[in-house]
Amino acid sequence: MVRINNYEVINGLYYSETHVWVRIENDIAVIGITDYGQKNLKEIVNVMLPDLGVFIAQGDILGSLETAKAVIDIVAPLSGTVKEVNENVIGKPSLINEDPYGRGWLIKIAPLNLHMELPKLMDFSKAIEWYKTLT
Amino acid sequence: MSKNIVILGCGAAGLSAALSARKTDRNINIIVIDQEEYPAYSRCGLPFVIGGEIRDFNSLLTFSPSMYKMMRIDLRLRSKVIDIDSNSKTVVYIDHQNRKETLQYDSLILATGASPIIPSISGVNKRGVYVLRTINDCKAIVEALPSSRNAVIIGAGLIGLETADALYRRGLNVTVIEILPSIIRASLDEDMAEIVKSSIERKGVKILVNRHVDEITGSNRVDGIISNGEKFKADIVVLATGMKANTELANRIGIQTGITGAIKVNSRMETTIKDIYAAGDCVESNHMITGQSTLSQLGTTAVRQGRIAGINAAGGYAIFPGVLNSMVSRIFDLEVGTTGLNMIQAEKYGFKVLTGSVSWRTRAEYYPETKSIRVKLLFERGSLRIIGGQIIGGEFVAPHINSLALAIQAKMTVFDIVNLDTCYSPPLANTWSPIVLAAESALSKIRIT
Repeated sequence: MVRINNYEVINGLYYSETHVWVRIENDIAVIGITDYGQKNLKEIVNVMLPDLGVFIAQGDILGSLETAKAVIDIVAPLSGTVKEVNENVIGKPSLINEDPYGRGWLIKIAPLNLHMELPKLMDFSKAIEWYKTLT
Repeated sequence: MSKNIVILGCGAAGLSAALSARKTDRNINIIVIDQEEYPAYSRCGLPFVIGGEIRDFNSLLTFSPSMYKMMRIDLRLRSKVIDIDSNSKTVVYIDHQNRKETLQYDSLILATGASPIIPSISGVNKRGVYVLRTINDCKAIVEALPSSRNAVIIGAGLIGLETADALYRRGLNVTVIEILPSIIRASLDEDMAEIVKSSIERKGVKILVNRHVDEITGSNRVDGIISNGEKFKADIVVLATGMKANTELANRIGIQTGITGAIKVNSRMETTIKDIYAAGDCVESNHMITGQSTLSQLGTTAVRQGRIAGINAAGGYAIFPGVLNSMVSRIFDLEVGTTGLNMIQAEKYGFKVLTGSVSWRTRAEYYPETKSIRVKLLFERGSLRIIGGQIIGGEFVAPHINSLALAIQAKMTVFDIVNLDTCYSPPLANTWSPIVLAAESALSKIRIT
């Protein structure tokens, strides 16, 4: 784990420019939002996530996060079918702020085409370089 | 086809409108157009950058550009709107690459803000004469600091005095010149203004009231000003003589402006042209106490009006209840706050007033950090309802002003306030709240006990 300008970036994850991370666990992709995303949003008060079994395509809006003043889209980093939704964050959205890479995970999907789509995301070292360019 | 909300201006009101429009309708297209190169930032924070407390202009930005993308707010900066056609519901603008673009709108929100009034003083266009509204204005002043020793501020309102404070903190020799008989005259009565003025003068800053500026002197760069025949050296001159609503576009298409010169809106922030809304520094507000039109060019009013305009423009329903003009400012070592009407305004609107004042301490008298605080309350003589408050203190002024605003909005009387159940602990508050004591002072003038 490293900190770039106070934002945590974790090894072993893949990152998108829409502030979403992916962790591959065997055949499943776990998806959540990054420390940069949750810090800029501040306290998250509501989460909308897709239903089980829904198919999402890479780049689609899979759900949204709501704060006191803003609503932002969660952009799907990969295509796949939703296998699991984190009920804990629906009940307690602040988990996303408290532990964005751990207990604050959002959904798990069965990815359609990791081979083609994963390279479009940033790995740890590319992510570090990219975070350095953000204010 | 998805609907379009177009917002002119990405300032406090424009951004607030965009955020609340997005909350109201997750799918509508929201396009925000602004002339500046920066997205919404805190203008109120600019004096603190001059003074050196805030180091980085970027920290003033409300959201980074990437956050706008995540909120699906289409931000178009460095773009100038040149025409609006309310019949075809189109907006024409010149983008950052000088191309002419046309946008269709279903709802349009004017959040065009206000611009500093440039007084007609000879020499006002010399180099070294500044206004303070934008980040670029602020950068120009900050750049001039190292080579400057003397500053003259023209105008002793809040912007003028906060700027004077900032320049004083940077070690400049500061003079403030005010045309009216007292400082912060839009908010403070003369007795309260005098307390603030004396406090600032004790720091070595000169404040001259009832004075106008004859001329700004210097060959091509400013070297001083002449006021009532007297010369003052200046390397920096800051014009802080008020703000004028930006109504040029509104005027061009026939949107009505009001008695204040700003855009007239109803309580849904609708202008006189259908599907066009307006909010913030460019509009005229309704005063909650007098029911009359007033200018309320404050950051708090801008975000609240923007929120209402955004909800309505996106197809929702929300009402703006009007303003009290609650304000607070840190001016040198004092915090100064007001809400509701002062004596001058109360008399103008025909109110007969009962006042109560007290000078007290912010914490227990014996507590080392305790500071002075003076509260002046105004009550309307017939109903004995609170209609205004002015507070000057070393600390805690903002929460006390908020209590008074709540009391005014809840239509409380002097009796309600005298019986307020306040909290206390020696390091945090005094056993007696100065608000309660000021109300008691008013009551003692009319009670026969």
